[in-house]
Parts: sequence; C-alpha cells; structure tokens
Amino acid sequence: MTPSPNHPTPVRVLPNRNTLGLAALLVAMWYAGASQSNGAAYLLCFVLAGVALVSILHARANLRGLRISVGRVAPVFAGEKQRVRIGVLAAAGGAHTAIRIKTGDGADSVAFAEISGAQWLREDLAIDAARRGHFREMKLVASSLYPLGFFSARMTLTIAQSRWVYPAPEGSRPLPRHLAPARNRGVGLRAEGDDFAGLRAYIPGEPQRHIDWKAAARGQGLFVKQWAGEADETLVFAWPDTAGLEHEARLSQLARWIVAAERSRKSYALEIPGTAISPGHSEAHFHECLRALATFPAA
Amino acid sequence: MSRWRGQHSALDSGPLTGVCIALVLAVVPLLGRIAPWAVAVFAIAIGLRLLANYRRFRLPSVPLKIALLAIGLGGIAVSYGGFIGVEPGLGILLILLSLKLLETNSVRDFQVLVLLGWFVGLCGLFFSQEFSRWLYVGAVALILAASLLRFHRAPRPFVLAEKMLAQALPVAALLFLCFPRNHGDFRFQFSRAPNGTTGMSDQLSPGSFAALNRNESRAFRADFPDGNVPPLSQLYWRGAVLWRGEGLTWARGAPSMPVESATGQLAGAAVRQSIILDPHGGRWLFALDRPAVAARGSEFCAGGFLQSTRPVFAPLRYNVVSRPENREAELMPEQRADALKRPHQISAQVQNLVASWRANDATDREVADAALHFFRKENFVYSLAPNTYGSDPLTEFLFQRRTGFCEHYAASFATLMRIAGIPSRVVIGYHGGEFNRLGNYVLVRQFDAHAWAEVWLKGEGWMRVDPTNVIAPELISSGSQSFLESRALADKAAGETSAGAAGLRELLREARFAWDNVEYQWDLRVVNYDEDAQQTLFNFAGLGDFAPRAIVLWMGIGALFLFGILAAWIGRPHCERLDPLMREYRRFCGALANAGVAREPWEGARDFAERAAARLPENAGAIREAAALFIAARYGQRADAPALFKKAVGSLPRMANNLHSRL
Repeated sequence: MTPSPNHPTPVRVLPNRNTLGLAALLVAMWYAGASQSNGAAYLLCFVLAGVALVSILHARANLRGLRISVGRVAPVFAGEKQRVRIGVLAAAGGAHTAIRIKTGDGADSVAFAEISGAQWLREDLAIDAARRGHFREMKLVASSLYPLGFFSARMTLTIAQSRWVYPAPEGSRPLPRHLAPARNRGVGLRAEGDDFAGLRAYIPGEPQRHIDWKAAARGQGLFVKQWAGEADETLVFAWPDTAGLEHEARLSQLARWIVAAERSRKSYALEIPGTAISPGHSEAHFHECLRALATFPAA
Repeated sequence: MSRWRGQHSALDSGPLTGVCIALVLAVVPLLGRIAPWAVAVFAIAIGLRLLANYRRFRLPSVPLKIALLAIGLGGIAVSYGGFIGVEPGLGILLILLSLKLLETNSVRDFQVLVLLGWFVGLCGLFFSQEFSRWLYVGAVALILAASLLRFHRAPRPFVLAEKMLAQALPVAALLFLCFPRNHGDFRFQFSRAPNGTTGMSDQLSPGSFAALNRNESRAFRADFPDGNVPPLSQLYWRGAVLWRGEGLTWARGAPSMPVESATGQLAGAAVRQSIILDPHGGRWLFALDRPAVAARGSEFCAGGFLQSTRPVFAPLRYNVVSRPENREAELMPEQRADALKRPHQISAQVQNLVASWRANDATDREVADAALHFFRKENFVYSLAPNTYGSDPLTEFLFQRRTGFCEHYAASFATLMRIAGIPSRVVIGYHGGEFNRLGNYVLVRQFDAHAWAEVWLKGEGWMRVDPTNVIAPELISSGSQSFLESRALADKAAGETSAGAAGLRELLREARFAWDNVEYQWDLRVVNYDEDAQQTLFNFAGLGDFAPRAIVLWMGIGALFLFGILAAWIGRPHCERLDPLMREYRRFCGALANAGVAREPWEGARDFAERAAARLPENAGAIREAAALFIAARYGQRADAPALFKKAVGSLPRMANNLHSRL
C-alpha cells in the first residue's frame, strides 16, 4: 500500500445540478415573502439559506483529512479491466460519510458509507486499461454529496503507483518458424526419434557438440545441426517477423506469440529494436518480455 | 420495456419514510384550502410510494404518470375554474408533489422532493404568521432536512440537523435584518388569501355582535411607546362611525360624506400607540378615541376614524396618535343633516317618551341625561344572548323585552337622541382589553367588541355616551379582565373556592400572558419587520446615510466574516478527545520537546524517556520516574498512578533548552 502524502489534499466544494434547484427554491421563497410582506416566510427562507451555506462547510470538513492509498496493481493486457485495490483511512479522530471514490477517467467507482476509526477499509476499483504502457501514477477522485446534497465536495489525488498495461495479445500470424540456437545446457541435445531438420549458422560461443563437422570438413563453414521436435526448442520473436503490420499491431502480434509460447511452455526470445531478451520461459521472463513491449516507443 | 412497466423502488425506506411524514405534516395546515380530491390524490401517492418500498410494488410507468398529470391538472381547472389564484396554485403544487413522490427514485428526485416539501411548508405561512405556526413549519423543515441528511448517510441526522440549524442562525439573522426589503409592486402574488373578512362588520344590527362574544381570537395588540397607558376602562378603540340609523339597525354613512378636518378639534395629552392588527380582510383600523393623525396607508373618514387604504390580509403594524378631548366648535352642515335623520318608523310610544324628556325646555344635555336615567331606572337587563326582535325592534326593546347587548343600548340611545333633535351617531370598535405586564401592551380580543353612542352638544362638540355603562357598569369598569372572563371566573370561583385552584388559575394566567408576550414580540420583531423597521435599525446602527447598495455590500462582508468564523470552527482539525492522562502525557512530551528532545511518533513511553534521560542527564531521575508513573497509570492497576503522574509532570524542573546552549 502506498499511502497518500501526509499533507492534506485540498478539498473543493462545487455546486452541482441540485444547487440550481436550491437556488430556485430560495428565490421562490424570497418572492413569496417579499410579495406579501410575509416576515415569517422571509425568516424561513433565510434560515434555509443559512443552513445551505453551512452545509458547504460540512461538505468540506467531511472530506478533509481522508487518506487514500492504492495497493499493488497486477499487470493486464490492454482492453482488459485492471483491478486496483483502494484503501481508505479516516483522519485521526474524524469520520467521513458517504464517500465515493472514482478513477480519474470515471470508469468505475466505489462507495464507502462511513469511514471512521483507525482501520484501513479496502475496496476494489476496476480501471479501463485502454492503452499499453507503464503508468507511474494514478489519479483518483474522492467526492461526496454529504451532508445535504446541494453541493459536491471533491478531492483529486494523484497517487504514485506503478501500473503495467501490456499490449493486447492479438494477431493472426503463426509462430515464426526460425529457431534460436540453443545456448544453455541441454538445449539442442538430440533426443530419440527426432528428425533432422536442417542446418543453421554456428554462433560463436555455442556448445560445439552439434557442429556439423562433415560440412566443416568440406570447407563449407561452421553449421549446427538441428532436429525438429526438440523439447527445448527456442523461438525467437523478432521485430522484422511482424513486418507489414501497423506499429501497435506488431506489438500485439509479438505479445500474442509470447502468450502462446509461454502457454505451451516453449522457450522464447524477444528481439525488438533497442531490446533483446535472451531465451527463457519463466513467469519473470514472460513479464520481462511484455514489459519491453509495453514501454516500446509509439510509432 | 421498463418505461412501460415502471421500476422498483431503489431508495432506502428510512429517509423516504421521513420525507413522507414531513410532507403529510406540511400539508396539514393547508387542508381547508385545497380541494379534498387533490388531498386524496396526495394521500394515495404517499401510500403507493411507501408500498413500493415496503411491499415491492412497481412505481408507475411514464405513460401512467403523464395521464395522472393530465387528470390532475384537468381536475384543478374544473374544481377552481382556472389556474389563477392561491387555491388553484396550491392544488397544482399538491398534484405536482404527488407525482414527484411517485416518480422519486434517484438522488436527484429525492433532492427535488425535499425542496418541494420545504416550499409546501412555506405555503402554510401564507395563512398564518403566528409564532406557533412558524415553529410548526420550522419543525417540518427540520424533519425534511434530517431526512435528507439521513439519505446522505449521516449517522445521527437529527442531531446534525439541529447543529447545522444552530450554526446557520447568525448568518440567517444577518440576512433577515439586512437583506433589502421593499414593498414594491409584485405583479404575481403568491397569496391573497380570500379569507373573507373576520371580526367586525360594517353594519350594526341586533345580534350582530353576539357572534363576536364567544370569539376569543385576537383583534390587535397595542403598545404605548411613551408608557402612558390609560386606565383600561377608558380604552375606547374607535373602529368606525355609523351615521345611518333606523331604530336598532345602524349602518355606515355614504362614502361621499364630507370629512371634517381632524387636527384642530382635538385636545388633551397625546397618546401614542403602536398597534399590530391581526389580518381581518377588511379595511378596519383601530385607534383610541379619537385618532388625531392618520397613520401611513390610512385615511380619515367622516366621524373621525381611520380606515386602511387597502384590505388587511397580513398582520399590519401602524403608529397612531390619539387625543382624548374634543374641542369641536362647529358641526359641518352636511354632517349635521345626516346626524339628525330620524328613522322612518317611530311608534307613538317612543314619540311620547322622547317628548316627556323634552318637557320644560330641557337642554340637550338634560335630555341625554334623562335617557340614561330611563335606562337605569327601568330595569334593563344586559344579556349576552338576547333573542331576536320583531317588526318594531326599537319599541319592543324599550318597552317590552328590555334585554339587550351593547349594540342595542348604543343604537337605541342614538336613535332616541335623533328623535329628540340632538345630532347623534353610533361608534363601533372595541373596549378595554387585557394588559400584559410582561410585554407592556394591551391585547384586545374579538369579544371586546363594543358599540357606543356620540351626541353633539353645543359648545362641547361630540360627546361620548356609553349607555351600556349605565346598565352593566361592571362591564365598563372591570379591571384587567374582560367582562366575559371575569364572569366566567366568578362562575368557577363559586364552584371551587380552594386556594390551590385559584393559585393554579393564576399560574395558568401568567403562562398565557408569557406565551402571548412571546407571540407579540414575534409579531413585532419578525412578522412586521419591514422596510421602515429596517431603516430604523440602520439609523440606529449609524448606517442611515448609507445607500442601499452599500448596505448590501456591508451585509455581504458581514456574512463572509461570519462564514469565515464558522469555517474555522467546523473545519478545525478533528480534536482527538484525549483522556486526562493522555493530556498530561502530551504536556510531559511538550516539556521535553521544549528542552530539545521531541518524541518521535513511533517512540514508546519507555524508549522516549530513556532517550530523553540520556540527553538531559541533570533531570534523568525525574524523567524516568514520570515515565514509569505514566506506564503504571496507562497499563498498570495502580489507582493513584494518574494523580501521581500528573503531580510528577507538574513538578518537572524547568528544563531550559540547554542542549542548544551546550552545542
């Protein structure tokens, strides 16, 4: 949980649609009092006006000192809902009534009937994760119609909280067929029943066991033998593989391949301009790749 | 689909029920003013809306609501023959309120419903501005506010509503006193309550006052700003002068009658009165016999009485000066002619009676005395319930029945004088009243209504003659109580003579006085606070020369100032309610902070004390001891620890900020 800073967030009290109705009532009451010199009606009118004014102060005091925090946010793909856990804590010795907390874009809101005591109260908010990216802060709006509803108290907070939205995994291209050279132990080992799939260029530093020495003897250069059905086959998702698509669609295609590869427990590497992530297939690796896509510069 | 089916209620039952109760209470004072069927529609709407919540009925659909609105407005048009006026207006308001009630299913609807409720409450003030009515309407408004607070989830809505009310009072008072008042022309009138006139009538006929006799309602209150309150028996409140007499029936003179000049003919000490007249729908204004200066908004009428230039529909406050003595030297010829008009039908019996008084060339004064003597001697009876009289009421009254009421005596006396050739007229108004010691004013009720006669005597002018005084002197000379009341008291006293009962009665009387005084102050200071009163206040405050605009500006500044104070008060940091021990501990920490060792928020008492002791070695012992006592008081069982801790904190040596001096 990242608590909001200790200095109080300013509260603004604004008129709303109900204020108009209130104004109309007060004018009508004033007119009734004035047109027939009705002192009793005047008094009622002014008392209600006074109460309405006082409600502004109560509305302000109701929101003041409220502390809001946001919990760790799980990453999502663009287009999904991102669940954000909101925590609220009453000001010391204070109480806050009928608080509604909205996301900055107003997509979702949670309501707290009463916030008091020294316990954090928690509720989930869903944010529309429309765009990919790494968002470092979150805008939240706490508002309340308390006490009379004729004015809205409003407090806008920007809370530092890291939030990842990966590109939506979309695209119809098949997994690229070219395979990365096995670099780690066991990778590329020949297993029973595997078929010879072909040769590829040797990358310096690779284990030398699979070098096609016959070809080397023929003076054709160093090649590595490859077998289809290799259990530790490594896929390489490279930027050029998505050529022909739009910029964001390319990122989506890459994300889709990554999801597919991770799902089928294949080892994969990502090579995009500026970033090359070596093969692997752990959860951390999965997120590393998707983060790279999320923060990839826009076209 | 939902449009055709109507929705289920989405509102909480609690606030909704509160609003429904308040709305019913708000409508109660209007019951006599609105067509019964509209009230029934309202009652059904309340019932349906509550059923929607408690029995999960569906709310009416949009087409149904439109149909209801059309039927409601049509009904109003048919019932009242149009939409213009107060009563159709109230009917429409009630129909709209009913529909809004059925429709209410969102936050905004609920807000509007409460606003409508406040306005319906205000309408109750159109017909009465009494303090008790205002308290009632105020209570309705408070219930509405509390329901709204509850709707917005306030934990203790009524407590909060009262708190907000108390906080609003200074601003409300400022607005009330300073908001510009004008009695300019308002094209659209919310209310011209067509109550019909109450109280006096313009005609005096046998029995016309009888209806007033049991009417305890208030006619007016009179304050004497100079403090010269005449004796109650001398309080003849002049209302109107009747010039046209026909036996026992008297009526107002022709409107074309010439009006005598008022000022020169009156003498004696001026008695200033400040009168608050209850609305009666007529143009009556009352003043002590006889008004010398016309009040604002009034005119003088033939016979020396005041009349308002427009009907009195709202409590009216006016100032008037009266002078008790008459120095009228000459009677205008037109008035003399009117004052001598004899009734068409005079029986021989009456003729003979008057002739007997005129024997021996008696003067006018002697004739009048003889007439009074006749009333005294001939065993006339003062009765509150005289039966109706036949075709020749005058003869019947004078010679057979001899039972009557003030109007009989005044009318017959004045008629007899005219037959004798003495100019005479009848005056109607009120007599006496009840003096309220608490408020120093005289309260006059309808049952104080009275009629008396005036005769013109050469060299003296118009003389007041009150024949009732001769028949029932106790009525005229009774002290603070009116005749009726004293009689009722005497009846009761005959039954129960115990001192306790008398004491209780006295107590009740005092309570009634006190309450009436409260209402009087209300009428004086709130109901009748108008442009003039406002100007008086501004003059008093030294703002008399200010332009109205400047006063509005200053009012705004004052309101902002009050608002600022309130803001500081309401928005003050939530003061944690510390128990005494924690307050002492805070003092302890404060003392150490002054010495340069501030407690960190996370620091426990023991750790902090150790740190402080290490930093302030001279006082280490005292600090450790105090901290130990605090811990014992807070967490231990020792009953005397809090007191000891307090003492230890009190006796902490003054620790100068010697850290800094050392550094």
